[in-house]
Amino acid sequence: MRARRQVLLQTRIARHIAFAVVVSLVLSALVLVVFRHTSVRRNMERSARTYAQLISEPLANQVGFHGSSGKNVLDLQVTQLRELNDDIERLEIVDVRGRVVLRAEGGNVVLFGDGIDAPVITDRELLRAIDGLDPTAKQITEADGSDAYRVVAPVVKQWGEHVYSLVGTFTYANVDRQLRSSLWLSALILAIGLGLAHWVSVALAGGITRDVDRLRAGVLRIQEGRLEERVSINSRDEIQELADAFNLMADELVATIRQLRDANRELETLDQTKADLVANVSHELKTPLTALRGYLELMSEGGLGAVSDEASRAVMVCRKNVERLSLRVEELVQLSRLDRFTALDSAREDVDLRSVLESAIDTFRPRMEGSGMHFVLQVQPDLQTIEANPEQIERVFLNLLDNAVKFTPHGGTVLVFAESCDHERRQGVLVRIQDSGVGIPPTELIRIFDRFYQVDPSSRRRFGGMGLGLSLVRSIVEAHRGAVWAESEEDVGSTFFVWLPNRDFPSEAVGDGAPSVRLEEADVHRPAVGEA
Amino acid sequence: MARVFVVDDEPDMVDLLATILKSDGFQVETDTDGRSALARLLADPPDLVLLDLMMPDLDGMELLKLLRLDAKGASVPVLVVSARSGHQDQLGTLQLGANAYICKPFSPRELVRQVRQLLETPEAKTSA
Repeated sequence: MRARRQVLLQTRIARHIAFAVVVSLVLSALVLVVFRHTSVRRNMERSARTYAQLISEPLANQVGFHGSSGKNVLDLQVTQLRELNDDIERLEIVDVRGRVVLRAEGGNVVLFGDGIDAPVITDRELLRAIDGLDPTAKQITEADGSDAYRVVAPVVKQWGEHVYSLVGTFTYANVDRQLRSSLWLSALILAIGLGLAHWVSVALAGGITRDVDRLRAGVLRIQEGRLEERVSINSRDEIQELADAFNLMADELVATIRQLRDANRELETLDQTKADLVANVSHELKTPLTALRGYLELMSEGGLGAVSDEASRAVMVCRKNVERLSLRVEELVQLSRLDRFTALDSAREDVDLRSVLESAIDTFRPRMEGSGMHFVLQVQPDLQTIEANPEQIERVFLNLLDNAVKFTPHGGTVLVFAESCDHERRQGVLVRIQDSGVGIPPTELIRIFDRFYQVDPSSRRRFGGMGLGLSLVRSIVEAHRGAVWAESEEDVGSTFFVWLPNRDFPSEAVGDGAPSVRLEEADVHRPAVGEA
Repeated sequence: MARVFVVDDEPDMVDLLATILKSDGFQVETDTDGRSALARLLADPPDLVLLDLMMPDLDGMELLKLLRLDAKGASVPVLVVSARSGHQDQLGTLQLGANAYICKPFSPRELVRQVRQLLETPEAKTSA
């Protein structure tokens, strides 16, 4: 890919140069040939005319002088005259009536005398020219189709006596031969020129692309991560400017990367410290909570002797609040862990939602009984198991139920439904938790899953909690590639929907909507806790 | 009567665990220091050990390791009591030789259930 692109650039430039050279060569060759063609022919015609005029009189004199007797002398004379011009095809002496008196063609000289067999010219135009007193010339086409030049030179004596005219026919053959040879020469020069053009253009293009190649190599080095290397080009043109700009950019890139790396390291340390702090604080809180919970439970169950009714009510309040405190602490721990390991896959197993929901509801029974509320749980009989982290999934329903119980007034009902349901063309299970509480304003519905968000700042005091519950719910559900949302009507109640995919949903369906899962936690099997 | 040995650096926790176990009829011994606890465990192995993980000086993990290295402590059932609820922590202690794990804050009923289960298990195994 890279190599091809490089060749393309050089070839492209070479092609342009070669094209320019070829066009100029061909044009000049054409001009040369056309120009030479005309000038050579004109030269030939001019010398033909001069020649015809010069020899017309001596030749005509020979005819009259020798008559029909001195044939040998005539032959010699004619031959001598012929040698003065290479282009002669035929020479004729014609009298003004059109009768050919002498004809010299090829090596033969024929003298017709007064004989009746003398050929007679019938061409009117030619007859007029023969009869005229001025020399004329014309390009004609011979019987065999070739071009020829015909000159008519009248022989006019001293007193205007005009008996004969010379008709000379000249061939273009010699001239054309010359032209052809010069054409061949041009073609040869053109061919050599083409070869040279190719070589020169490739060399020139290489010269231009060499710097581009160097620049490209520099870019590739940066791309490979060799950030300290720079491009050195001294072409004093745009490419050098480009290289300088590139070097500057690389400098800034290096500086930025260094800054980012430092900042990132700092953030990582900070994040680690924060996570450690949250984890440690939570653990520190758990031990005193255990002592409180244990003693309170012993007291309310009579394990520490009889307790008065009033004290028993106080113990119940304490237990309720310790329970709430435990939930909050557990939320903090879960959240700090979720921040560090979003991968819940490590501890996935088949989870029966019915038993999870039942045990979650059981947790709230003491609180419900105190305020006259009751639960209704409806689970589809053949509900499929889901693949999930049971601890996390229980946390989801504990938090949602906690919310529902918190916002449902005395004597209210919390309904829990679980059924098979498709969501975005995936099979799964939908759990609905419906309360008859104060409801949530529509504008707040989207934000309730945000961390630390509470509908009304005063609700913190009224209902407790840190605003972590629902954000934790969302984090866990999304880590399970599920979805959570809510519907609400003020003063009627809210319904929370949790959809979780079935265990056999195809892995390719994990699309962009799924949260990014970092597999940092080792792939461990969840030990059977509490069973030796 | 089964003897349960409680090791935890928090005196309140030790007190609670002892109270719960005693009210359920177990004989309880306690120690708030890892080193002296290890010495006592090896000198006279109990029927079960309740072990806290985060302790100063000698922590629960180390104690467990040393206990399992000794022939006398190798087979004593150990129930780890910890505030750490991560799977990694649980797995780590189970790999070191703990028999079960209970997370704080737990309910007394759950603790007793686990203790009973652990004490019955060896008998169930030998009879099977």
